[in-house]
Amino acid sequence: MAASSIEDLSRQFRAALDAASSPADLKAVRDDFLSRKQGRVTALVKSIATAPPEERRALGSLANALKQDIEEALDARDAVMLATAGPKDAVDVSLPARRPWVGRRHPLTQVRERVEDIFMAMGYQVIVGPEIEDDWHNFEALNMPASHPARDMQDTLYLSAPVPAPDNGRAATLLRTHTSGMQIRYMEAHDPPVRIIAPGRVYRRDNFDATHTPMFTQVEGLVVDEHISLGDLKGTLNAFAEEFFDAKVTTRFRPSFFPYTEPSAELDVECQGCSGRGCGLCKHTGWIEILGCGMVHPAVFEAVGYDANRYTGFAFGMGIERLALRLYGVDDIRMFYENDLRFLEQIAL
Amino acid sequence: MKAPVSWIREFADLPASAGVNDIAAAVASVGFEVAGIEGDVIDFEITANRPDCLSVRGLAREARTAFGGQSPGSRVPGLPAVARNAKVGPESEVPVTIESELCGRYALALADVTVGPSPAWLADRLTACGIRPINNVVDVTNYVLLEIGQPMHAFDVARLAGPEIRVRMARAGEALTTLDRQARTLDPSMLVIADAARAVAIAGVMGGATSEVSASTSRIALESAWFQPASVRATSKRLGLKTEASARFERGVDLEAATAGLACALDLLERIGAGHRLGGITDRYPSPAADRAVILLRSRLDRLLGDQVPDADVMRILTSLGFVVTPAGTDWHIRVPSWRVDVAREADLIEEVGRHWGVNRVPATFPALRTPPHRADAAVLRARRLRRLLCGAGLQEAVTFTFIEQAAAEPFASDSASLVTIANPLSEKFAVLRPSMLPGLLDALSYNRRRDIADVRLFEAGSVFSTQGERQRVGWVLSGARQVHWSQPLADVDLFDALGVAELLAGAFGVTCRSEPAADAPWCVPGRAAALFVDDGGASKYVGIVGQLLPTLTSARGLPAGVTVVGGELDLHELIDLQGANAAPRRVTPLPRHPSVQRDLSILIDAGLPAAAVRGTIQANAPATLVDVREFDRYHGKGVPTGQVSLSLRLTFRDRDRTLTDAEVQQAVEAIVEALTRTHGTTLRGN
Repeated sequence: MAASSIEDLSRQFRAALDAASSPADLKAVRDDFLSRKQGRVTALVKSIATAPPEERRALGSLANALKQDIEEALDARDAVMLATAGPKDAVDVSLPARRPWVGRRHPLTQVRERVEDIFMAMGYQVIVGPEIEDDWHNFEALNMPASHPARDMQDTLYLSAPVPAPDNGRAATLLRTHTSGMQIRYMEAHDPPVRIIAPGRVYRRDNFDATHTPMFTQVEGLVVDEHISLGDLKGTLNAFAEEFFDAKVTTRFRPSFFPYTEPSAELDVECQGCSGRGCGLCKHTGWIEILGCGMVHPAVFEAVGYDANRYTGFAFGMGIERLALRLYGVDDIRMFYENDLRFLEQIAL
Repeated sequence: MKAPVSWIREFADLPASAGVNDIAAAVASVGFEVAGIEGDVIDFEITANRPDCLSVRGLAREARTAFGGQSPGSRVPGLPAVARNAKVGPESEVPVTIESELCGRYALALADVTVGPSPAWLADRLTACGIRPINNVVDVTNYVLLEIGQPMHAFDVARLAGPEIRVRMARAGEALTTLDRQARTLDPSMLVIADAARAVAIAGVMGGATSEVSASTSRIALESAWFQPASVRATSKRLGLKTEASARFERGVDLEAATAGLACALDLLERIGAGHRLGGITDRYPSPAADRAVILLRSRLDRLLGDQVPDADVMRILTSLGFVVTPAGTDWHIRVPSWRVDVAREADLIEEVGRHWGVNRVPATFPALRTPPHRADAAVLRARRLRRLLCGAGLQEAVTFTFIEQAAAEPFASDSASLVTIANPLSEKFAVLRPSMLPGLLDALSYNRRRDIADVRLFEAGSVFSTQGERQRVGWVLSGARQVHWSQPLADVDLFDALGVAELLAGAFGVTCRSEPAADAPWCVPGRAAALFVDDGGASKYVGIVGQLLPTLTSARGLPAGVTVVGGELDLHELIDLQGANAAPRRVTPLPRHPSVQRDLSILIDAGLPAAAVRGTIQANAPATLVDVREFDRYHGKGVPTGQVSLSLRLTFRDRDRTLTDAEVQQAVEAIVEALTRTHGTTLRGN
């Protein structure tokens, strides 16, 4: 082992480099000299260990310099070759790409966030709470005492045994039938003014078929202040409908009944499928019902200790599945729970 | 409630030009949805608060008001006028005793009858309303029920022991065969009508078969009563028996209609030649209801509606519905008609005005924001961030049911006693609340695999339940290829893909999670389960688990054999608590200004030695300038002795304030190698 052999190696490399005329040639040269296992430079570096101790240092630095030279020369030649590559080296860009995996938020999440975003922009606080509830928050405080016939409107799933609440509050005995319990919880803890929405899963003892499901997603809203009127409710929900459908929509309020609001109404929007003329989508009525709403019943204010003479308020509640059916043109609600990727991957990212 | 327009018109002088559709639309616009129209008959949906509209007269009140009030002098279709004098006269010969407060009123009259078919006009009306004609006596009771909403019942006096009537609680185990020929066993929570010997009817629900009016009946006792709504509702629910009568009683029948109903029925029996009244009317009415009066303030009306309904319209609407309105300055004193059981306070009246004035006419306004708005709950924002993170990492969000099968839940519960079960599930498929996100996700994955979708990566965030309570978790399952491209062979996902998701999530919460072999993981392949821990002020806190699902489980959920499924689950509460503890703002550390030095190390170790132990030894024996240790290769096979593996690590050294010298790095590496040899008996792999 001597300095001369290092020079030899350098010459041999230059010759090989000059002879290389294609990227493949160049790769062969690189392997020949630098390969971790059989490369000639690698072998040279290893052999230095056997040289007399007094020569090792000098040889080592010569070998390192050579290695560096070779790497630089190869890289420079690589760059030149790439820049002047001919058609035969072209990559077939019509081959499938290596696409990064990406998932989508579930359509029910997307619609729910769409609703949340609209109300957040109107200054609403989004609150969430437990899915298993006690009778007080789900019914009693909402003007539905035990024997109230309105309880039949929401056939309830009950737990076999009470489950403790996280805050040592009342133990849960049922699966909430609406997120209204959160309105009660919020009012119990905060003084007016109130401007909240409460999204979440709710449960009813309904069959599972194309139009019903025992579990669905709801967004409920509540506004309480000193001068809240039915006109405010209308203005708010009209604004919501236009934002949600991203279009001028015609709305209609129909009087209805909910135990916790008075007056109560249902909001219909003109069917966009037929512009109100009547079609299969709207069951030939020209209207699609999208939510229930009303002015908060004074009994609800009394239940949470608000002064019902001083404060008024409105509340509304909508089913996300129903909105999603409309938005995506789906006609079977079960599709939202099957998690079929062929369906989910059609939803926008 | 089905009602023929011709019948409604008997009580409401509606414009002659108004057709069936116009009337349907007008009544629908004031809150009675129309379920269908067939010829002259409109089927209205009556909300739970309006039992008064489960009658033709009730609907007539709404219809006339919806058409803008009435021609001068027309009467509100309230109770029949005959009611005023009905109580006058001697009592009937059958004595009546009320033994329970659950019966608020009980009126009875006798009639001699000739049972036969009803005249066609009467039978037709019943049929139109969906009630099957039976005989003239029963048909008359049903006609009155439909017309004024008062349920009635006719007993065959000859078949009443006594004859007498006692309204009492049922005895334990008391038996009664009802008109529908069902033998029913009663209990002491149920109110019954009894004769001297036994129960003859379930109060407010259904009569008994033994005292039923038949072709041979010659004398009837007509019952017209008021039963407490909650009691009728409870009895009807317990017996699973809903009738026209129970539907009305449980919502609230007009207390004043009892005698009116009797008078109506007796009158009608006479008119159709079916019979005539015998003697007087008995009216047991222990505590007559007081008149209900409510004050309606103009200021409240305006404030709640956000509109000024003119005085004349307020008067018109309320009067037309049967309220007695007396103006008092700018306000009104209002007497509530007895049939409006739903009206008790001012808001109820405002609803009446609003309904008929028209919600659509109220001008839309927008409420002013008087206080600064708040950001969404932290939980909402966190869930949003988490979903976006996982979607960006290539996982698809799933939404699965909260209730699942017991058998699907059990492998994922700490023990089956901790499962929360539903008392009245729809079916066994929806019987328990999920103890983990994984069973639902596994089913969703299986659903896709069965449809030939091979590469499935799903996650879901939501609530899980145990007898301890409700908690928030995020779960994920992965199956199929890690990458799909023509340039490389397919490689299936494995435990480390699932672990990577956990580390990503922990990172999003600002913590680093560490994994240890999980011994107690019933759903995992033994040896392919990792318990996840994070540092909690020195202590180790369990936050979740990752593992490969047992093939027995995956095949039980319909997955083909040989499909590897890995998954994991993190408890968000635990992570949130931790984050709360280290919630101090996430400050950045200044970027390094000096270069780092890397050294690679290949060592032979016992195959059973965890990488974490090697890493621990390295860290314990390195200077503070060692900033990173990363395994980049693990190999066993040719060139590595049996029972050992070759582990390659890259060590990165860096000092904050200066450039490290080769010598000091070399010295640090030598110290590390020496420590590894001493501690684990490792040897350096030759290079």
